[in-house]
Amino acid sequence: MSVAIEIDNLSKTYAKRNSVAVKAVDALSLSIQTGQVLGFLGPNGAGKTTTIKMICGLVQPSTGRVLLNDHDVLRARRHAMRQIGVVLEGARNIYWRLSSWQNLMYFGRLKGCRGKSLKQRAQQLLTELDLWERRNDPVGTFSRGMQQKVAIASALIADPPIVLLDEPTLGLDVQAARTVKLWVNRLAHEQGKTVVLTTHQLDMAEELCDRIAIMRQGQLIADQPVSELLGVFQQEFYQIRVRGHLNGHRPQWLNGMEVTEENGESLLSGALQSQEELYDLIGHMRGLGLPLVSVLRTEPDLEEIFVRLVEEH
Amino acid sequence: MYTATLTTINEMHKGILIIWSYKFNMLMQLLSLAFIFIGISYFMGGGELQPEQLSSALLGYMVWFYAASAVSNMSWDLREETQVGTLEQMYMSPVRPALLLLGRTIANLLTTTVMVVLMGGILVLALGIPLQLRWEGLPIFVITLVGLFGFGFMIGGATLIFKHSESLGNLFQNALLFLNGALLPVDRLPGWLETFALTMPTTQGIIVLRNVMIDGQSLGAVWADGSLIWLIAHSLVYFILGWTVFAYCERIAKQRALLGQY
Repeated sequence: MSVAIEIDNLSKTYAKRNSVAVKAVDALSLSIQTGQVLGFLGPNGAGKTTTIKMICGLVQPSTGRVLLNDHDVLRARRHAMRQIGVVLEGARNIYWRLSSWQNLMYFGRLKGCRGKSLKQRAQQLLTELDLWERRNDPVGTFSRGMQQKVAIASALIADPPIVLLDEPTLGLDVQAARTVKLWVNRLAHEQGKTVVLTTHQLDMAEELCDRIAIMRQGQLIADQPVSELLGVFQQEFYQIRVRGHLNGHRPQWLNGMEVTEENGESLLSGALQSQEELYDLIGHMRGLGLPLVSVLRTEPDLEEIFVRLVEEH
Repeated sequence: MYTATLTTINEMHKGILIIWSYKFNMLMQLLSLAFIFIGISYFMGGGELQPEQLSSALLGYMVWFYAASAVSNMSWDLREETQVGTLEQMYMSPVRPALLLLGRTIANLLTTTVMVVLMGGILVLALGIPLQLRWEGLPIFVITLVGLFGFGFMIGGATLIFKHSESLGNLFQNALLFLNGALLPVDRLPGWLETFALTMPTTQGIIVLRNVMIDGQSLGAVWADGSLIWLIAHSLVYFILGWTVFAYCERIAKQRALLGQY
């Protein structure tokens, strides 16, 4: 399978006024295969948006390079820009004074599309996004969700093979977020586009992405297929419920498990290194005279894994 | 050339659509500018309107309107586009950003021309100002605009980095109105102020335009007296300087990730 996005040793350092340099992205290398959906995660300030903007050529890297379908973003800008459609975070991305149709015509021509094929593509996108009936209304009169749909349609108007979505569901209501999710899913899994998605909604990332890359303080701390990442801690995570309370005692044999006490029961949850530890722990409970109610081996979701990885690094 | 033409048409089309969506505001702005000119004319005439004396001032006022529009396009409009994220979308186009900027400027020029023709027409008809249209004025006007574009690029570059350049834009708009010879010939200003006024982007253009349009001089005559040569040099310096400043500011904006910050 060919590589759609090649990020090679990419770094970005911002020089601040007090002469303290801030390294927003530090020697990032990443290859994204054609047709893959990459979830780009990380806490605020991790360097995700800076990376996305370097991929788009909006921010000049301090070192390294980005290739979009083999076109260098800085050296072959014209060809590289034909490969991408982008919806950036926190921006309207479109003209609110214009209608959705006028926006699509403008951005389509800006990307080099012309004539009948442009109009057909615009009609197709607006119809699929349920905006056709209101195509002539100014976008400023639309709801936030509809505006985001127009922004996505504008990014897709030239049918780019790579789509970059920076927080596409931020600020959207449940229904609108659901539509956007469905669309991302279609783009990737029906139309074969390469999608890079940054989001803080980890359930969405888990649902849509083939692969997850996690950044922290400008560095990549994880980069694995979703199934592998979910499997990393899968066999170690337990929830043990016993009758009775530990009365505030947190003995060492708890191995750092979290304890929640309510309604006459205690719930111990957390990771254990092996089943030996599990049996030891149950033995200690028995020794304290706390009857066992249930033992559950849980599968951690992406959110738990994300929190643990970020904390570990 | 083909791409440049299509880009310009696209930018122009967008510009006209946006301006049209503000049609009421634009109409009010046109009327305000017309009233300001009428007020200034009464003031200059000591309480009386002297239409035959106003041709020169109207010509300067119309050139100033182009300058004000160029400053506005490169400060308020550019900042607005930065704020809403459409500037970043423009920078992700396969077309060179410089070409887009040029297309945007030409689009602004064309829409401004429509407004100037409307405003000028209203004033000429309402006040009975004798304004003779001579073709020799056209090349002088175009050369003046080249320098004005350069000045606009400088303001645009400053906007990319400093964002809140409205105050700078305001300063230049007012300075241009009163110091570029639009209303009062610069040779009536004190020496030091005259020297400063002569460096402004539209001053020399207005001087040569008046010589050609009002005094009826030929292009050969303004070439021979050196004023046209000086205008060409002046405009070229402004254009090259403006383009260089914009390119430099654009590079800095990309280095500091300022294209989408406001």
